[in-house]
Amino acid sequence: MFAIIAAKDIRELTRDGRLLWAGGLVVVLMLVALAAGWNRQLQLNSERSAGQALDYDAWLHQGYRHPHDAAEQGMHVFKPEPPLGVFDPGIGPFVGSTVWLQAHRQSEVKFRPAQDATGLQRFGELSPAWLLQVLVPLLIIVVGFNSLSGERERGTLRQLLSLGVPARSLLFGKAAALASCAGVLIAPVGIGFAVFLVARLSAGERLDAVYRIAWLAAGYGLYLGFFVFLTLAVSALVRSSRAALVLLLGFWVAATLIAPRTASETANLFYPTPSRLAFDDHLSHDIAEAAGKAWAAHFGVRSQWDPSLPLSKWGAALKVDDAAGYSALDENFGGLWDTFERQQRAQEWVGLVAPIVALRGFSMGLAGTDFSQHRDFSIAAETQRRKIQDIVSEDLIEHADPLGNAHFTYKAGPELWASVPPFKYQLPSVSFALAHHWTSLALLAVMFCLSVALAQYALSRPLMR
Amino acid sequence: MKSRTLANLSLIIRHEARILVRDRTLPLVCCVLALMVGYGLFVGLAQATLRDRMVAQVEKHEQATQRANAGTLQSVLAGKSALVPFSNPANPAAMAGTLSGRFATIPNAPLATLAIGQSDMMPNYYRISYLSKVQFMYDTEIENPWNLLSGHFDLAFVIVFVLPLLVTTLGYNLLSAEREHGTLRMLCSQPLSVATLLTGKIVVRMLALLTIVIPLPIVVLLLVRPETRGAEQLGLMLSWSALVASYALFWFAVAALVNATGLPSSTNALIMVALWTLLVLILPVTMNLVVGLVSPAPSRTELASRTRVATAESLREYESLYSADYRYASDPEALLVKDKRIEVPSRMRAFFLAKQRVDEKIEPLLERFDQQLLQQQRLVDRLSLLSPAILVNEALNSIAGTDSRRFVAFKDQTEAFHEGWRRYFSPRILESRAMTVQDLSSLPQWHWIEIPASETRWSIWWRTALMLALAFMVGGVALARSSRGSAGF
Repeated sequence: MFAIIAAKDIRELTRDGRLLWAGGLVVVLMLVALAAGWNRQLQLNSERSAGQALDYDAWLHQGYRHPHDAAEQGMHVFKPEPPLGVFDPGIGPFVGSTVWLQAHRQSEVKFRPAQDATGLQRFGELSPAWLLQVLVPLLIIVVGFNSLSGERERGTLRQLLSLGVPARSLLFGKAAALASCAGVLIAPVGIGFAVFLVARLSAGERLDAVYRIAWLAAGYGLYLGFFVFLTLAVSALVRSSRAALVLLLGFWVAATLIAPRTASETANLFYPTPSRLAFDDHLSHDIAEAAGKAWAAHFGVRSQWDPSLPLSKWGAALKVDDAAGYSALDENFGGLWDTFERQQRAQEWVGLVAPIVALRGFSMGLAGTDFSQHRDFSIAAETQRRKIQDIVSEDLIEHADPLGNAHFTYKAGPELWASVPPFKYQLPSVSFALAHHWTSLALLAVMFCLSVALAQYALSRPLMR
Repeated sequence: MKSRTLANLSLIIRHEARILVRDRTLPLVCCVLALMVGYGLFVGLAQATLRDRMVAQVEKHEQATQRANAGTLQSVLAGKSALVPFSNPANPAAMAGTLSGRFATIPNAPLATLAIGQSDMMPNYYRISYLSKVQFMYDTEIENPWNLLSGHFDLAFVIVFVLPLLVTTLGYNLLSAEREHGTLRMLCSQPLSVATLLTGKIVVRMLALLTIVIPLPIVVLLLVRPETRGAEQLGLMLSWSALVASYALFWFAVAALVNATGLPSSTNALIMVALWTLLVLILPVTMNLVVGLVSPAPSRTELASRTRVATAESLREYESLYSADYRYASDPEALLVKDKRIEVPSRMRAFFLAKQRVDEKIEPLLERFDQQLLQQQRLVDRLSLLSPAILVNEALNSIAGTDSRRFVAFKDQTEAFHEGWRRYFSPRILESRAMTVQDLSSLPQWHWIEIPASETRWSIWWRTALMLALAFMVGGVALARSSRGSAGF
């Protein structure tokens, strides 16, 4: 019975112009988004790996110079684009990809692409994830809003029930029809893309990518499933197709367009982001205080340029200074990033009424383009910077003593530069993403179950009103 | 004939208003709109206040640093305080770099509350020193990237995205409902044209929406932000009202056209939602992609690599200055002002010169970035003709002064100021001239020069005119179709 109902509904839907037009548009957009994303990623990755190799090469071949001058020049490291960034670029355009590892200070990731963009950027970026999150639910609503209310209006529902069709078969048959309509549009493109993507990866990365894709499929499945059952539930509950359409569209607008914006505004109120000026002032103050204490403890001087500290101790002083700064940097940047993560976690609760918020976090996380993975990269880059600083200071300590005031005339050579290892960043594995985002997935599962329960309740009510 | 049409129209308006109020559709929609407008305004006000406060803080910071510098300089010159080698305000290289508290700031435009636009992505101040542009021009205000991605719930969002949906709610069944209730036939048997009926119904709904969306923000702004009371701002508010009204009119014209096709109500609703999705969601997002493809920004990776090359070259160029004798730490007395001269440590001089060289070398690439942004903007201007949503959004941002044009102007002016800052210090550093107390008060001053209002006005009015023309075109077709009786009765 279930299969008959599903088959009948699928036939009906494919004959209807709605699915053909809207679905065709979604498929075309999906292909465009994938092609554009793929093109962008190829370009970015080749540019970034070339840039990084060039920078390291220049570091190795900088000839003879003072180690601190070399550290002042530093080097750039680049964040590799995760393979699934094609699917969901996440916060990528808003955070940039380059860190300058220079002496004295931790740099932030700079050069955000969104700064080069026009006002159109704020309408959103055409990505496969955006299409699945925003447009496909709309498509499900538009195709399915009258699947039960229409039967009632035509009088066929009465006939069906008089034949003894169980409500459960009716519900799952209709759901299967709706889901397969959405599936027909998404699955071929999705599977084709997944195979293409995995095939191009190196053997070591494949398994991770397959896991990620599987989890993504589960997350999106729950999300779209929620919309399928919600559509059916509303269609069964309300009196007319028109009312079902208006209600469902209202929910879609509120949940996908309004809720994410409202959630981020509200989270900002609870966990305010510090201003740049306040953050910088606080950081400078903490660094100065930590450095002052460290200088007093190590050298018994009150300020960095105290005349009683000979310049020949500069390497040791630099090391003490840097080490004192590290904890201040960790504390301040860590505090800021914690605020961001707290803001995001606060927003996840909005996922209880607007599942898109939960899905967005989950999707970015599994695609490797969320904040926690950005933070992981920033920490790795900072570790590399500290490695350079420590190597340089050690060398200054070793070579400084006999030089007196001519300290800066000392020059190190290629052996020192070669002792700095190349920066290799390994993207975190899928378990990292899951550890950060399992709550979102759980939330999506809860929402899905609630929608199924609502639909069952709606159909179990006397349908003959 | 004409007077009868008018009498009919006013009858329909009164009748329709009564029905809509009784069945609670109109009060409900109006309440939702008022709530959203209120919240959008609140968000806009909060953002504007935040940015006002930032600029004020920065200015306060600048004054405090200046006072501190002046105090230290006086006591150093009088020999009262000990010399700190690299924070000595008499040393022009220290003044140009670490000690400077100069900021370039862009104030909120008076109507900034109306649209947040690009203002959360772009900085509203830069800290000016002798550092290279790449070191400070890409700093922005701290913001959670997730929030940047979500966007703000500001008034522009309510107008561009939500208003058309409310128009859809009120207008998808203008004629179809009458047809479905069987009352259209009856109405058509009266001496009343369908065009008049349609016009009357639209007038009621449009007036209801506009009486909330237009006066509410204007009144609140006039009350809360005194800077909006000037003649120029009132003019801008007028153009803002005209723009919003023409955008609403466009969507009502679409509703009229859809109703004139004679299809059932739910099909009408579907068509309108499809149009909304296409014009407000899909087209702008696709255009964003097209703009990036047709006119791509120069590579950020290239900028980073070029910065590295330029930095290395400049460091090498001044190698001899960098590695000179450095006795100032153990002998700060060497940095005393003697006969209005001060020994600028060669390493500090090298810093100054090297950063200057980096900028000279990177300049062509940065120019390409700016050029690129202008080109993209021009492309957006042209493409905006394809989607009323883009058209209105761009115009709303330019009224609020949060469009990318204004930020590009700010960047340009900052670069010029940065140049001037260097020009001021260059001879002092190279000729080892000590800073005097008078010098401190004659440091280059930042003045923001607002972009010409005439340019903004023109760009807003042609967009409004275009929107109106579009609305009348669509509305004209709708009325023509409905009076030809093709509305399915």
